[in-house]
Amino acid sequence: MDQYYRLNKTECREFVGALTSRYQVVAPVKRGEKSFVFARISSPDEIASPEEYIPTIIPPKKYFFPQRETILEYDAVAQRQKAVMEYEKVVIFGVRTCDLAGIQCLNMVFSERPRDVNYLIRKNKLIIIGMECWDYCDEHALCALMDNHLPKGGYDLFFSDLGDYHLIHVNTEVGEEIVRSIGVFTEATGEDLKRLQEFREKKRSAFDTGIDLSHPELMDLFANCEDARVWEELGERCLSCGNCTTVCPTCYCFDVIDEINLDLRTGERFRIWDSCQNEDFAKVAGGESFREERSGRQRHRYLRKFKYPLAKYSRFFCTGCGRCSRACMAQIHIKETIKALIAERAGV
Amino acid sequence: MKKVKVAFFDFACCEGCQLQVANMGDLLVDLLDRIELVEFREVMSERGGDYEVAVVEGSITTHHDIERIKKIREKAKILIAYGACACTGGVNGMKNDFDLEDVKRYVYQDKADWFDTVPTMAVDQVVKVDYYVPGCPVYIPEFVRVLKCVLQGLPYKVPDYAVCVECKFNENECMYDKGITCLGPITRAGCNSWCTNNGNICYGCRGMVSNPNKNAQMEVLKRYGIPLEWIINKFNMYNRAKEIQPQEKE
Amino acid sequence: MKRLQLVDSPYLVKEAKVCEVRQMTEHEKYFKLMLRDEPDLDHEPGQFVMVSIFGVGEAPISICSSPTKKGYFELVVRKVGKVTSAIHRLEVGDTVGIRGPFGRGFPVRILEGNDLLFVAGGLGLVPLRSLVDFVIDNRRDFGRVHILLGCRSPKDILFKDEVESWARRIDVDFSCTVDRADPDWKGNVGLITSLIPGVDLDPTRTFAVVVGPPIMYRFVIKELLKKGIPEKQIIVSLERHMKCGIGKCGHCQIGNYYCCQDGPVFSYDEIKDNLEAL
Repeated sequence: MDQYYRLNKTECREFVGALTSRYQVVAPVKRGEKSFVFARISSPDEIASPEEYIPTIIPPKKYFFPQRETILEYDAVAQRQKAVMEYEKVVIFGVRTCDLAGIQCLNMVFSERPRDVNYLIRKNKLIIIGMECWDYCDEHALCALMDNHLPKGGYDLFFSDLGDYHLIHVNTEVGEEIVRSIGVFTEATGEDLKRLQEFREKKRSAFDTGIDLSHPELMDLFANCEDARVWEELGERCLSCGNCTTVCPTCYCFDVIDEINLDLRTGERFRIWDSCQNEDFAKVAGGESFREERSGRQRHRYLRKFKYPLAKYSRFFCTGCGRCSRACMAQIHIKETIKALIAERAGV
Repeated sequence: MKKVKVAFFDFACCEGCQLQVANMGDLLVDLLDRIELVEFREVMSERGGDYEVAVVEGSITTHHDIERIKKIREKAKILIAYGACACTGGVNGMKNDFDLEDVKRYVYQDKADWFDTVPTMAVDQVVKVDYYVPGCPVYIPEFVRVLKCVLQGLPYKVPDYAVCVECKFNENECMYDKGITCLGPITRAGCNSWCTNNGNICYGCRGMVSNPNKNAQMEVLKRYGIPLEWIINKFNMYNRAKEIQPQEKE
Repeated sequence: MKRLQLVDSPYLVKEAKVCEVRQMTEHEKYFKLMLRDEPDLDHEPGQFVMVSIFGVGEAPISICSSPTKKGYFELVVRKVGKVTSAIHRLEVGDTVGIRGPFGRGFPVRILEGNDLLFVAGGLGLVPLRSLVDFVIDNRRDFGRVHILLGCRSPKDILFKDEVESWARRIDVDFSCTVDRADPDWKGNVGLITSLIPGVDLDPTRTFAVVVGPPIMYRFVIKELLKKGIPEKQIIVSLERHMKCGIGKCGHCQIGNYYCCQDGPVFSYDEIKDNLEAL
């Protein structure tokens, strides 16, 4: 049966304090005027206020699939190799539902055969504490359109702020262990669950999608959009800076690079995030690039969120977090692109 | 392992790149296991002898420079241009916006006739360059990476994507979000967004990506209310003399 | 950050010894390799391997030998970048890393019993040779065999001795053309598409296997369709940038396919509506 607990807001500090004394904890902290990052915290005061919070510059994927990670150590002269994976045991606190969805997408990709062992081992070293949003963080969010504004698993514990207390859903044994070992929780009653339902009911109107499309319709929109003029238009505006893919919670493309040490015999092979928006991404050794135009690269990015993964994983790979739109200096906004596609199809 | 003989030379520059190398610390000690320094003005008093690798800092700005760099090229098996001045002309390139005689008079006044000058050139506008390490100053991890490629006899390619890529990896707040202009979107990465990590903007010291979307960049500037002339001035600070040539890629 | 050793990492390489090296043309070298710990690579014609040089990197390379040749495998490498430059420096006795074989090769079971039309342009002969040799070594299992070969100039013809031996066989119908002849050349001059109309074939029972530079496919396929060969009987092998070989890194994606896992071999009907394929 589903297990719920209450945590009075007056005890929140004690909870986070206890958590940081037992684990390495990361949570959203303020980076600049309008930006947040997941970073190590040592006290509850460092956590960004939920009222102010907008999705962090880079999603928590960086803990699952780091920007740069060593996959092989070697000695080129002795021809010795050692495959390695790097990990840290970390509690990720304050993961919103959009980012929980993003992690679920990455889980699917990396567990598909041939499996990515590095990712799969690392993900089991991480503890995820989710947190519910009651309203859009800003105008770029489209989590409700992607149906990711409600929790659908993917966490150990999940916090819903119900006014003067948090209601906590326990999803795993690991989560239960945290609740049990930090004795500041009380068991929830039927009243609390009813209250949660009322809050979620109110959420319906708060999360108006603004785009009147069901998921099958959205799927259909992207199924046959290859020739749309929208892509040309995006191509003209795109700077190919790669911001949209770096900040995307479901972008996982990478490059593999060797770095030899100055002894010119020992070294490491590492992988590093790469972007389909970069000029050379699809260029073969002979010089031919299969997505030479920016329009084709932008289309590719969108189809990797709204078309290709549906056939492979039966879900959209856009979580609705809105990071790509926020990070785009050219103001290529996902909502506008969808609206433009709709208009184009309607012949406007 | 036989040590490779390396000579450092400087032309018109501030010698800041040499200073970066001299300040490498332990890494320099490791490096000296691999190379034998035969000339390096900032750290050695004696000089001379043969060399296989010439590491050249600075831009070419006089007839004497032209002759000297040609001689270095003749002697060296491998020539590395390092630093913005050598790779793109660097700040010295700003001279090319003015009449040469005026420039000379302004700087040397009544002694102007004693001095010789030509328009600022990057090293590869005079001789063939085998490796580039752009930046003002060079980013030491990249400099070492290039040296290792030289020692391995392998090509090195300066990244051809924007500084934004690395800046985002480092989760810096975007300068544009702070209302500040930054050349990151059109400048070649490879410096691990060194400047923006430290709160500064990107000045484009590594040269432009090979295929920047100029129209789009202008649109962005317009939206942020930044005059085009201002950004061109900013970019020309390092890149007036020339753009770095696109190189081969695996 | 802690580090764990992995024994089942897909990035571990197998050691292979270089047992023969031959300069083929100005830019291409031939390598014969033997795995140290396994008797055979156990590949299908048309598959590829990632060749790894520690301290330099990895590059995807087509296997050009047939699995009917036991105990070794062969590669032809064009020197175009950092990794291939390092591969070109390998000498007999050196060790190199191998991952794979990867990908979906030519559908040999389906080809059996049918007539075959091989169309190879330039370096495309390299992956195609793995299938040609397989067919020749199992010649009885296949119907008529036509081989069309196109090259830039006579000096660019790879595997010249072998190609000449195919031309001499009575159970193979062979034609060759070059874009630019030299004074000694007595054969055809012109594009490979010019050879197709003259081939005598029964389109219903012919599978065309086409490998060449990207630009070639569209023109060759047009000619093949004109001959009446059904779309699903036209087989191509596509080259893409690759980094991992295991369908993760994203570089080789062609629409919904990962070339390294779903390809590199595709039938034309699988990819004809894919905007990025040809």
